[in-house]
Amino acid sequence: MSRKKSQKSRGSGGSSSSSSPAASSLPPKDGGKSCSPDSQVPLDGVVVPGRPSLSNSAEFYDLAFKVMLVGDSGVGKTCLLVRFKDGAFLAGSFISTVGIDFRNKVLNVDGVKVKLQIWDTAGQERFRSVTHAYYRDAHALLLLYDVTNKTSFDNIKAWLTEIHEYAQQDVVVMLLGNKVDSAHERVVKKEEGEKLAKEYGVPFMETSAKTGLNVDLAFMAIGKELKHRSMKIPNEPKFKLHEYVKKEVKGSGCCKS
Amino acid sequence: MDYKGIGGRSGQEAEETAKDRIHRIDAYGFERPKDFDYASYEEFYSGYLEILTRRAIKWSKLLQRNNGVEKSLKVKRYIRKGIPNEHRAMIWMIVSGAQAEMDLNPGYYRKLLEGEKNDRLVEAVQTDLNRTFPDNVRFRKTSSPCLQQELYNVLVAYGHHNKNIGYCQGMNFITGYLILITRDEEKSFWLLDALIGRILPDYYSPAMIGLKTDQEVLGELIRMKIPAVADLMDSQGVMWTLVVSRWFICLFIDILPVETVLRIWDCLFYEGSKILFRVALTLIKQQQARILEAKNFPDVCDKFKEIIKGPFVMECHTFIQKIFTAPGSLSMKTINKLRDTCKARLVQG
Repeated sequence: MSRKKSQKSRGSGGSSSSSSPAASSLPPKDGGKSCSPDSQVPLDGVVVPGRPSLSNSAEFYDLAFKVMLVGDSGVGKTCLLVRFKDGAFLAGSFISTVGIDFRNKVLNVDGVKVKLQIWDTAGQERFRSVTHAYYRDAHALLLLYDVTNKTSFDNIKAWLTEIHEYAQQDVVVMLLGNKVDSAHERVVKKEEGEKLAKEYGVPFMETSAKTGLNVDLAFMAIGKELKHRSMKIPNEPKFKLHEYVKKEVKGSGCCKS
Repeated sequence: MDYKGIGGRSGQEAEETAKDRIHRIDAYGFERPKDFDYASYEEFYSGYLEILTRRAIKWSKLLQRNNGVEKSLKVKRYIRKGIPNEHRAMIWMIVSGAQAEMDLNPGYYRKLLEGEKNDRLVEAVQTDLNRTFPDNVRFRKTSSPCLQQELYNVLVAYGHHNKNIGYCQGMNFITGYLILITRDEEKSFWLLDALIGRILPDYYSPAMIGLKTDQEVLGELIRMKIPAVADLMDSQGVMWTLVVSRWFICLFIDILPVETVLRIWDCLFYEGSKILFRVALTLIKQQQARILEAKNFPDVCDKFKEIIKGPFVMECHTFIQKIFTAPGSLSMKTINKLRDTCKARLVQG
């Protein structure tokens, strides 16, 4: 891994900027020559507005960000992603994610086309050593647990510790309690999720990939936060992620927990 | 097989499209994907049928002789040209050494199943049962017989047999394929043992060091053989693990078409893990120009999803011929040397 980094900084000098018009207006890439490459967020992958880039799906976008889905095996990461990407949930059609996989979606955030490249990871513990190498490149992390599975909630602290260890300091983290449609099987109360999120200073919401509850909101909130961070528009009021989430989030309705 | 009966319907044929003539479910029970290219498949398959017939005759002659499948150049050549499906399980069993192990350990598999179970292992396996091939009719809960029970048995037995590994996601898919081909739990168990215990490096243990090593080895091979792609990966900061981890862990299941995967596995059981590099190198080399169109990080990742689609990977016979020519020479000595250096680098951190 360490070798890779040094090669990356060597290779990033000329070739990347000349071969990529969209990336040419980026700040010097990856800070290879600056003080500490590991502590800086290289916003690679961010395409600057005004130079629309054509992705493979022939969809234009102004900005691109990397989002990662993490959490225990079976909490519904892939389902959440498919619900967001395709607006669908077909029970019994999901396969366990092995290693790491991704899907793209372009969001319209206040008139700006934001491409989210969303990385879906295997939840099984042994895969963490394979996937955490990628944490440092992620702009946002959605951390999921399953409200019907206590262990997945208990493991959130360990996930947060790992995130703090490997991700960039200013990575956007959001905690999601998924599967709230299974009201009868719920074992983690909403208040417990809220309390934990507050303790770690991260926004929180409950979601259901099955019904779609708050799924688009979770990704939109991430998109808005990242867009506001990378585009400083004069006179625009500062975007406040926590407040936005609080205002927009919907309750799961039926269940008093 | 794959074709619906078309005899006596020649008059209507002109009006039919390939989609009408080919089953929605393939010979192994997999539903064809929504975007399945029926027309290209039909064109390929009509030619492939001839090859299959020719190979079937050759194999039955070979098997009539006593020493039919002792390792030899002839057998190797035959295997590279594809094992007929009716002999596949038997040949895999013999050339991988699984048959010998099974014969040496009668009753062992049953004993594992009857023994005490580790709760965590059982839970991990159960989490994945419904998530293994939901697109295959034989693995659906509603089908009878449903292969989920066999899958559960083999995975739990293996986890107790090889406690260092237990259960690792990815093994569910591999075992699923083994069950589909062998239709026999015990044989699937011993084939899984051959793959994990002997043929593949340490891909599935908790540290996954063999997997990390082979991803780096592939990176080094690309640097040697396809340097422009290596430069692109470096300049865009794309780690190999992001785009190829599933290739190695799942042995190309759900990456390449089923028939292509089986042809790869024919060679894998006989020739070993080197084959995985040959496949990876061929995919990347063949589609080099497309990969090099990528202008940024997300593009590079997208390209790696594109290169595993299309006629090139569907036409399994030509594809397998290509893996032995396109990457050029690839000796086990080179691979072992690279594995040593890459592993040392990883261990040092």
